[in-house]
Amino acid sequence: MNSLATSLRPAPSVLPGWGITMGLTLTWLSLIILIPLAGVFIKSAGLGWDEFWRLALDPRTVAALKLSFGAALIAAGVNVVFGFLAAWVLVRYEFPGKRLFDAAIDLPFALPTAVAGLAFTALYAPNGWLGSWLVPLGIKVAYTPLGIVVALIFIGLPFVVRSVQPVLADFDRELEEASATLGATRLQTVVKVILPALLPSLLTGFALAFARGVGEYGSIIFIAGNIPYVSEIAPLLIVIRLEEFNYAGATSIAAIMLVISFALLLLINLLQAWNRRRTGIQA
Amino acid sequence: MVNLPRAAATSAAREIERHRHAPVRIDIEELGKSYGNFAALENVSLTVKPGELLALLGPSGSGKTTLLRAIAGLTATEQGTIRFDGEDATVLSLRDRRVGFVFQQYALFRHMTVFDNVAFGLRVRPREERPRAGEIARRVRRLLELVQLDGLEKRFPSQISGGQRQRVALARALAIEPRVLLLDEPFGALDAKVRKELRSWLRELHTETGLTTVFVTHDQEEALELADRVVIMRAGQVEQVGTPSEIYDEPATPFVCEFLGGVARFEVTAKDGEADVLGSAFPLEGDSDYCGPALAYVRAHELEIVARERAEGVPAVIRAVRPFGPTVTVELSVEGRQSRIEAEVPRELYSSGELGIGQGVFIRATAARIYAAN
Repeated sequence: MNSLATSLRPAPSVLPGWGITMGLTLTWLSLIILIPLAGVFIKSAGLGWDEFWRLALDPRTVAALKLSFGAALIAAGVNVVFGFLAAWVLVRYEFPGKRLFDAAIDLPFALPTAVAGLAFTALYAPNGWLGSWLVPLGIKVAYTPLGIVVALIFIGLPFVVRSVQPVLADFDRELEEASATLGATRLQTVVKVILPALLPSLLTGFALAFARGVGEYGSIIFIAGNIPYVSEIAPLLIVIRLEEFNYAGATSIAAIMLVISFALLLLINLLQAWNRRRTGIQA
Repeated sequence: MVNLPRAAATSAAREIERHRHAPVRIDIEELGKSYGNFAALENVSLTVKPGELLALLGPSGSGKTTLLRAIAGLTATEQGTIRFDGEDATVLSLRDRRVGFVFQQYALFRHMTVFDNVAFGLRVRPREERPRAGEIARRVRRLLELVQLDGLEKRFPSQISGGQRQRVALARALAIEPRVLLLDEPFGALDAKVRKELRSWLRELHTETGLTTVFVTHDQEEALELADRVVIMRAGQVEQVGTPSEIYDEPATPFVCEFLGGVARFEVTAKDGEADVLGSAFPLEGDSDYCGPALAYVRAHELEIVARERAEGVPAVIRAVRPFGPTVTVELSVEGRQSRIEAEVPRELYSSGELGIGQGVFIRATAARIYAAN
């Protein structure tokens, strides 16, 4: 067993750089991420434990949190399926307009999210192109939680595609051939051979899409309708509390979001690490 | 086959025996495959005898791997047929061909344990043909025993050595009870010592399983040592087929001579089916009254360094001596010839101190193969 000191510092290397890179990284992380986030906790800690829980368990806050995390999870799940398909098509097939299609995947990164929200609202509103067909069928998208999911799917898609694409491109075709000569059907090959190899990248894509979805604000406020208890997301509630000059209420919601998000992302990372250790595959 | 007595030591081999079908004969007729303008296979006809161990030997780009992949059904061909025991295999799906294929880089499933890798081919069978879990486990253990990997079931491919991965790939291919076994450069990725060990082991395994086996290699020594018959390929075509001794003793073409290596090449002029090589006359292969340019090949051990006094052969100068191994290799330069000639001579000649660098000697050929140059 290594002592703590030696496990913190790697064995001396002929290629220097540990000290300066580690130092710069820690300073940078502190300035950009750790100090602002610590501020959130310090501010909410000022409330006292009882007051914090009173604010946190407020039914409107709980409903908003459930909606934010629920919609983000569903959207990330949908993106894993369709993002994988999009990555598959982009990597495996040649077709006219492939470059355009490939470039379009990144648009949700670049587009101001409010624009996307407005576009979706116009499409799915009862008098919109799609809405005028869907609403008579009883499917309401605009101004409902379903609309939030749709907007989050749009926002999260590139994360999954861009996580999976390079891994799939590097995937060894001989593995598929081996599977086929051993008698596997195409479906068995995809499920038993290809998907498990892509699992780490799918998980990464899921985590990124999910994290992005939880924090999304701009596109949702247009399509959600923002009805308290129904279609009001947590980030919006934070803004509402701020506008009421209720800083304590705002930071308490923020603190809860931080803790839940961090816990979920940590869980996903631990899963990845466990899988790497188990199979001995270096990512 | 019900009350088979079981000795523990041979039970694995017997297990294979129990599932063994009569070895399959492969008939390849006029096979053709091209990539654009490049002909990867051209009019290849070949018969693999039931139960034989056949080597496809050739330089890279000669089409040997393409031929192997075509037999497996991994590469579609444009012309010709491949028959397994008379049955057209080209119309069969990969699953129905039942070919055991071992890839050069093994293509093991990295996220599966050794056990799961070997069991894969059994688990993906349609429900009605799939053995029960207990039966699968029993068969996988027997196979791992056969390839001497028992005890490594729970390891992942990244946790075992290259030679072990090779054997896992072999066990995985054997698990589907293949009709033929195909190996692509089976020892290509291994270091020299492991190569030698696996070579004789593979030979034994072939005897035990009795499967019709085809392997690809670019190493002539490996092919000649291991195979029952060797197919030499060049530019998508079969150059020569024969047993190792046939290939070695009677190389059909200059290409085969050169590919087998260890030869000195001489450009000579033939007259009435004979040509002079280093001062001695030798007959041409085939055509007996050919006149014109010809190529002569003399193997290193067919060169003799003769004492100056006897004045036989042609004069040469010793340029280097490599005194290791059972014989001593001497590099010589001959006047009017750019490249040096290597001769293998008995150790005694070296020990007697007659082989000094820079020393003038005479060399002569004791044998030569001469081919008419077209």
